[in-house]
Amino acid sequence: MKAAAASLIVLALLIGVIPQFTDCQSQGKAIQLPNGKTLPMKCHWTARAEIAVAVPLLLSGILLISCRHRESRRNAALMTIVSGLLGILLPTVLIGVCAKPDMPCYALMKPTLVLAGSLVVALGAGCFIRAVRQRDANP
Amino acid sequence: MNVPRLIHRNVTRNPFRSGVVFSCAFLLAALPFAVTFITEGGRASLQRVLGRLGADLLIVPEGAEVKVETALLMGKPAPVWMPRENLDKIARMPEVARLSPQVHLATLAGASCCSASEMFIVVYEPDTDFTLRPWLDQHLGRELGPGEVIGGSQVFLPNPKANILVYGSPVSLKGNLARSGTGLDQTLFMTSETAREVARMSKTRAEQELVVPTNQISAILVKLQPGTLPERVAARIAREVSGVTVIQSPALFQATRRELTGLMRIIFVILTLVWLLSVTVAGLIFSLAAHERRRELGVLRALGSSRAFVFRLLLAEAAALAFAGAAGGIALCLTLAFCFQEAIVFLLKIPFLFPPPLLLAALVLGGLLVALLSVVLAALVPIWRISRMEPAQAMRE
Amino acid sequence: MIHLKQVTKVYPSDGANSVTALRELTLVVQRGDFVVIKGRSGSGKTTALNLMAGLTRPTSGLVELEGVDLWSLPDRQQSAMRNYRMGFVFQFPSLLPSLTVLENVILPTIFGPGLAPGEAAAQAKNLLATVGLEDKLTAFPRQLSAGQQQRVVIARSLINQPEILMADEPTSNLDEQTEREIIAILEKVHRLQGVTVVMVTHTPYISTPGALILELAEGRLAKQSRI
Repeated sequence: MKAAAASLIVLALLIGVIPQFTDCQSQGKAIQLPNGKTLPMKCHWTARAEIAVAVPLLLSGILLISCRHRESRRNAALMTIVSGLLGILLPTVLIGVCAKPDMPCYALMKPTLVLAGSLVVALGAGCFIRAVRQRDANP
Repeated sequence: MNVPRLIHRNVTRNPFRSGVVFSCAFLLAALPFAVTFITEGGRASLQRVLGRLGADLLIVPEGAEVKVETALLMGKPAPVWMPRENLDKIARMPEVARLSPQVHLATLAGASCCSASEMFIVVYEPDTDFTLRPWLDQHLGRELGPGEVIGGSQVFLPNPKANILVYGSPVSLKGNLARSGTGLDQTLFMTSETAREVARMSKTRAEQELVVPTNQISAILVKLQPGTLPERVAARIAREVSGVTVIQSPALFQATRRELTGLMRIIFVILTLVWLLSVTVAGLIFSLAAHERRRELGVLRALGSSRAFVFRLLLAEAAALAFAGAAGGIALCLTLAFCFQEAIVFLLKIPFLFPPPLLLAALVLGGLLVALLSVVLAALVPIWRISRMEPAQAMRE
Repeated sequence: MIHLKQVTKVYPSDGANSVTALRELTLVVQRGDFVVIKGRSGSGKTTALNLMAGLTRPTSGLVELEGVDLWSLPDRQQSAMRNYRMGFVFQFPSLLPSLTVLENVILPTIFGPGLAPGEAAAQAKNLLATVGLEDKLTAFPRQLSAGQQQRVVIARSLINQPEILMADEPTSNLDEQTEREIIAILEKVHRLQGVTVVMVTHTPYISTPGALILELAEGRLAKQSRI
């Protein structure tokens, strides 16, 4: 459980940090307007939104390490699964990324988030099953 | 309680030791697999492009072979031109069965009149074309009409009713070619009629006029008569037509192939070093484990297990770890390749396509075998020694 | 049943000196005997036991089990003989740490086509009940006391219903109370099941009438007596 929770913390950091450096804006591929301003694209908003996924995921990981109570672990695991699903849905369905495959957000950010999100869901499911089976002194 | 359970318990009871052997097998399988997988993926990709071209010879302006190769591989258009009259000179040669010219264009960079920035456009002539015809016959059943285009696998419409804007003119996407793992996946193919119409309308609709030269072409694709030696025709064309370079199909993408080969040589050296290191580390771990488990193995012998049983048990433990590590390594490679295939093509600039299923299965099997055999080899001597030891000697402190 | 005929055992060591543990030792263990082998440290007690069990090869001499030279048998047959006909209780903790108590007791049955898995499990449970550990089936050795571990070892030694039980200082690491309990179990097994027991020990708690006491000194049989 601890190893899984530590992995979740690492994944939370990846989910929060990597999109900030792989969206098109950070790679200098944003749309420039005639007045010189940069027009944020979908990938920019996806990267921002992933922070909102990473933070509760980080908390879930910490809870899974620090809590001994079966109910708390189970709930934290559920939160993990939901966070993972959101992490996958944001760059694919909910907001999306740029459509061109040579854009860094498409080639790097999206697959990284989908992969990380899938790992989070798998780890969350494993922690949930473990928590349900846990024999607790104070169930 | 049975032998598989005993193996499982023994393997999981020392996570550090098992983890090290797992990691060795992981590396032993993953690295060679990744290298051969990428190489074969590159080969598959280049093969598909060559197959799609369908030409025995590709004739380009002199000195432009690298630019044309880059355009085909990376989808990065580069303006190259040669006189259209080269067509007639080559058509007169009896060895030539068919030939078809192409004009290479590009959409504008960052212009609102083009849906996609700097997209590679290949203009072909339907009367002579033989590269797109097979696809058109199979999928559309007709030629492209005015204002119609087909795209590489990565060309798509934001919504089904929209059109692609090219120099201010909307063009209708009628289909997508199969993935090639190269820049051709982001290429638009249109007829010369459509190109001329777009050029005409661009004067008023586009930020910059599109010029389609009437007397110039970018490349000529040549199909030879059956039984003709391509080298001979290539030499003749080079002699009789000035200002051109003739590329034989197998020699296409030579620069890329050379790069890949050069890379392979370096990687091979690294792989050998990694193999040596991993096998050594695995051997050390097994020696340590055999020494640490002497007494336990002596007890097993005393309880009635034979030398052969102990040998097979320890070998099975080694094989189980090797298989798990190898499978994990290969699975990771495949997952990463699947998720990041666009990054491989467009950011690493390596043509890449998943190899055909049979070849892929062979590569996977090969990776598993390499790791399995290497780990088992590393474990063989310490396992043999400990299994031959007298039980009393093994149990002595 | 077991006959050591003029056996000598020399252990090679580094350098020129080798150690002669047994010198032309001859002794006989009859079926149904309760044999205690005593002697000072280095007298060759454990070596004698190991020779009888085929756990080490004599430098010279013969080791016979029911008239058959143990070392004329191929390894597979010798191992099978040990599996079916002998049980072992060692001085050191000999349970496999990664297996549960029940699994440890069943372990000898997987080396040959003896008991079916279901039968082995049932037999193991019975044996553990006999030694008072029926509630420890799923415990791991690290969760047991030294005395409890030795009881599990005794249960393991009996799973294949052996004819001979060999014990090498089974109580040397135990407290007095536990020592008495372990010796009592061994004597009970001998009495009720007719198992031949050969034990290396210094314990004063042997009370089996007619037990054969063999005293070794400097690798030879110094004295032989019966209780």
